[in-house]
Amino acid sequence: MSNGIPLAEALARYRPDADIGLLPELADPKLADMDTLLNTYHPDHLRNSVIKLTVGTNAGDSCQRELAGLLQAEAFIDEADLAGTPVTDIDVLVIGGGGAGCAAALAAAEKGARVLLATKLRLGDSNTVMAEGGIQAAIEPDDTIQRHIQDTLRGGHHAGDPALVSAMAGDGPEVLRWLIRQGMQFEQTPSGDLHTRRAGGMSTARLVHCRDYTGLEMMRVLREAVIQHRSIEVWEQSPAVELLSNEHGQKCVGAVLTSLLDNQLRIVRTRSVILATGGLGRLHLNGFPTSNHLGATGDGLVLAYRIGARLRELDSFQYHPTGLVHPSHLSGKLVTEGVRAAGCLLVNGFGQRFIDELQPRDVVCSAILRECGEGRGVRIDDQRVGVWLDTPRLERANPGLLEKQFPNLMTRTRVSGIDPRTEPLLVHPTLHYQNGGAVIDANGATTVPGLYAVGEVAGGIHGRNRIMGNALLEIISFGRRAGIAATANRDRGPKKVTLEHVNRLRRALTLADMPMTQRAPRILPDYAAGGVWKR
Amino acid sequence: MSTTANKSGQQPDVALTINGLAVNAHTGMTLVEAAWHAGAPRVTGVGCMEGVCGSCRVMLRRGTNVTVGLACQTFAENNIEVVFLPPASAPRHHYEIDDFKDAWDIHARFQDIFPEASRCRHCHGCDTSCPKGITVENGVALAAAGRYREAGGTFFECVMCELCDVACPELIAPAHVGLFCRRVTAHFHLRPPNLIYRLEELRRERQGATLAERDEE
Repeated sequence: MSNGIPLAEALARYRPDADIGLLPELADPKLADMDTLLNTYHPDHLRNSVIKLTVGTNAGDSCQRELAGLLQAEAFIDEADLAGTPVTDIDVLVIGGGGAGCAAALAAAEKGARVLLATKLRLGDSNTVMAEGGIQAAIEPDDTIQRHIQDTLRGGHHAGDPALVSAMAGDGPEVLRWLIRQGMQFEQTPSGDLHTRRAGGMSTARLVHCRDYTGLEMMRVLREAVIQHRSIEVWEQSPAVELLSNEHGQKCVGAVLTSLLDNQLRIVRTRSVILATGGLGRLHLNGFPTSNHLGATGDGLVLAYRIGARLRELDSFQYHPTGLVHPSHLSGKLVTEGVRAAGCLLVNGFGQRFIDELQPRDVVCSAILRECGEGRGVRIDDQRVGVWLDTPRLERANPGLLEKQFPNLMTRTRVSGIDPRTEPLLVHPTLHYQNGGAVIDANGATTVPGLYAVGEVAGGIHGRNRIMGNALLEIISFGRRAGIAATANRDRGPKKVTLEHVNRLRRALTLADMPMTQRAPRILPDYAAGGVWKR
Repeated sequence: MSTTANKSGQQPDVALTINGLAVNAHTGMTLVEAAWHAGAPRVTGVGCMEGVCGSCRVMLRRGTNVTVGLACQTFAENNIEVVFLPPASAPRHHYEIDDFKDAWDIHARFQDIFPEASRCRHCHGCDTSCPKGITVENGVALAAAGRYREAGGTFFECVMCELCDVACPELIAPAHVGLFCRRVTAHFHLRPPNLIYRLEELRRERQGATLAERDEE
């Protein structure tokens, strides 16, 4: 990929007022062409990027190569490490301190449980805080829950579980009410209605938002609610290194946490564990940059798989179309889809449009990769290429819109000396979201008793492609469902906590003649682990 | 691949100190990237790397000038001394929003919860420490005057780094005051007609369904 239009040349050619004309045929693909586009250019279909799993519940299923390495890896601890380790008993353990974890913890606490929330970094360090575009809920007069379900299933190429999708979409309005009760603000119209936008893959306006800080507003409110709650204890800098099972290795009865501050192990015994560990962008699958926060290393998938939970769509990931290419310290960071929802166009190095910008994310992503692959991208150097996100044209058509509706984008670019009102932004797809995850039911329960999974670590809702605004809805909808269900579990609690499931996986790896050199979960990416975490 | 600036082959051109360790970095690296590049110890407070999570709080010394900021929003420069600050301690002010039943006594509640807010001595410590340029002191004054909606608006871009809490000699905890103001505004006053209408519609549907089920039995 050494072709493309050099940056200076493309900039000289660029005009915000150029007549862009109608969408060329290439840009308005028919359904069949869409499949070809995805199959040819989407990173999920890159050669050698998918292999079959050899051991575990999903043996024989397709899985992204780097993820498969972690799912079939050695654990950090064995029985000897548990001797003399301090033990904490609690009703519900939530692992993960993003939106899903906080919603689960609050729902469990509302139902009277004593909750421990353990998180790898700081409470609120998550992808939630960066999910600024908005949250979907069918609240407009011309919209229905049914349409929301249909859009979600269609966006996911009908790979999603209709029961989960309908549970989530049906929760939408009630989720907004709950968030408002917690103290979250939303953008309103002059008459006081919640303001909605239409974004990619939606058949009507359904995206409720708080300017372009929706995730930040949600996260700071939930974080404060959790910190202030009498029945929730929070352990920060405390990643989970292993789950605990009963003597048969069949039921989840707790977890082993470590600490980034003192490296001490701690055992937590409980009746229910809720995994809310988020995604895995920081594994940089297929060498892509990522929009994700530092802790997104797929730990929950590894822990769930080792204890025997069934996973799904492990070969399907979302690459967000508009990750920044420049400046380098923001490489892979997002420009919210809200900008395209507000009317911003994508143009290639020749100044041509090449895709309907509001197609689902996987289609737009593939189209950008096609432009770059076929030499119509804008190239900075050997490694960095992209297409223009035409913000100056948007500003020209709607003066003041960027400043008013996208203060986050403006603040971020200002730090780097870029003004999106006068310069177009160079963007390229970035690893954004794990479409699949742990198989769950409508209560967020995995296939392992006592273990729940909510948020990005869970699968089945978004099929093979998530549409915008469903992530923030999912984390609250299923977070609350799991928190309530986990609290309803009133069995006597664990008699014995063991690592029987780890032994089981070790036996399977040995029998399959697999190497046990790699250890998982990853906890932190290598480039950030140096002074903090020793594997 | 990492987010670290791709400078392979080039010599580091910036010399600074991070958590007591002498570090050589490249122009254009943020302090987070520089810390990773050098393997600086005790850098656990990194989250989003785009200035919205408020985790990577640092104290910066340039000569005799000491300031605070966010490491992911500050670029490496020569001779700067950087210390990554530990996470904030647990808040001193306690409330649960569900305990508030009546918006009419909210000001009494506020004064019970945040009694220090009316004792601001106008030292501007909070304003100077805010990495987002929020007029914190003014926001606190608005809150103390009972103007919660306006006060909350002042804190719109707050990322809860809680650096203002550290700076305040009266222990006002301005970041939490700001969030309190935003939360009570939504909790008591955000009543959108389109949402309320849909909720009622869904309630009736559910009720209808329940009644139908009962008829069948």
